[in-house]
Amino acid sequence: MINIQDIRDTARDMLAKGEVRAVIGYRRGTRGMLAEPAFITDPEQASELVWDPTCFHNLSLYLVEDRKFLTHIRKTANAPIAVVAKGCDARSIVVLLQEHYFKREDVYIIGVSCEGTGVVDERKLAPLLNGVQATDAAFDGDDFVFTTAAGEKRLPAREVMADRCLECRIPYPKEHNVVHGEDKTGRQLAEPFAALTRFEAQSAGERWDAWSRHFDRCMRCFACRSVCPMCYCEECVVDSITFPVTPATSAEEKANRIRWIERSATRSENITYLMTRAMHLAGRCTDCGECERACPVNVPIRMLNNKMEREAREKYGYEPGASIGGPSLVASFLDSDPGDFIR
Amino acid sequence: MSEPQADFEPKIVAFLCKWCSSAGSDLAGVSRIQYPANATPITIPCTGAVSPMYILSAFNKGADGVLVSGCHIGDCHYIEGNFLARRKMHLTVELLKFIGLEPDRFRMSWVSAAEGAKFAKVVTDFVHDIEKLGPQDKLKKVVST
Repeated sequence: MINIQDIRDTARDMLAKGEVRAVIGYRRGTRGMLAEPAFITDPEQASELVWDPTCFHNLSLYLVEDRKFLTHIRKTANAPIAVVAKGCDARSIVVLLQEHYFKREDVYIIGVSCEGTGVVDERKLAPLLNGVQATDAAFDGDDFVFTTAAGEKRLPAREVMADRCLECRIPYPKEHNVVHGEDKTGRQLAEPFAALTRFEAQSAGERWDAWSRHFDRCMRCFACRSVCPMCYCEECVVDSITFPVTPATSAEEKANRIRWIERSATRSENITYLMTRAMHLAGRCTDCGECERACPVNVPIRMLNNKMEREAREKYGYEPGASIGGPSLVASFLDSDPGDFIR
Repeated sequence: MSEPQADFEPKIVAFLCKWCSSAGSDLAGVSRIQYPANATPITIPCTGAVSPMYILSAFNKGADGVLVSGCHIGDCHYIEGNFLARRKMHLTVELLKFIGLEPDRFRMSWVSAAEGAKFAKVVTDFVHDIEKLGPQDKLKKVVST
């Protein structure tokens, strides 16, 4: 059981001593029970920090934003930035460190263990509360306790937890400067890749029917890209921003510019976008599940990433976010890599 | 779908490594080996340079099949390019299969510069397999008129 006061104290002390320039954590948001990312620079504000089942954001995203901002204003950081990280978030930070996106000393990881639970899935919770809005959520052992206008509602965490947390193998931030909570690695609430295995058991035709509906639904809002700490490219392959359009650019030049993917939200373009994204995240995605949560039309994006993760794990023994110094999945190889698909 | 269509000519995009498969296709040509002319060759410096984006893009732009062909393992001009390609292409083909595309639409082969006959066979087999599958319309861009 994590005492929130410990996290607050850590944040306050670090800020007061000037050891970090900011703390990225969670605070109570303005939408019901949901927590929101908090950016704290004043030690007094540390008391606003919360830790509850709605802390689903992957805060490593803001480390990426911070580095982009520093590059933009051409300044170097005078102190590290502290970030509250769950198991999956800490693995994301490891991947970013592995890719030399920033240095280890630029970040101070306040690890929080999810212990026996994880974060809530609003889509699972809503029907169980019969439409009543919860105003507060709290961990309590293996249960979640929700405060609603109709009183307290206690639910077993397993019933309302996000799938990604049920399937999570390592709910503990191995890479950390300080950590709160117990290491419950090895707990198995659900079979890893359970949703993927269920889906894969279908025939190719059934899989295509399901995916074509998902691909049709995608409206290319790019919420999945915006929320992903790994999608940090300055220029995304789907919208080339460096194509210079001047008054002298002819219509032919504009028409003939390279477009890997059209911006229109049609099925074929959505497929290419989502598949490219899955390929770019192969060996990098740490299954924080934020893309799927952020998706307004419920495309099971996580399943594509899961597929890549499982291939990497089973065929290459590769675990994303396991070590800072290790090689990346697609920049390394083994003699024993499967090649039986090659004629 | 499994019935071969009489007037269907498959469009195949073939990414051929400059150092071997491209030379292999040359050898097939100068040796006067007859094989279907459905493959459009695109020479690339190394199979390791093939981005999964190329394959998705080829399907997106109407290819019925995509062939990636390079040097045998151990023969890469850049020492390890084809090892890296093997991983990337495996992941790509698994993802394509996962969403329900026919696995026969993507093919990878190792063809050296001395294997003109093998190149002809790879293309012949591939064309034959795709003729059975018919046109690829899953990933193909639909241009509204």
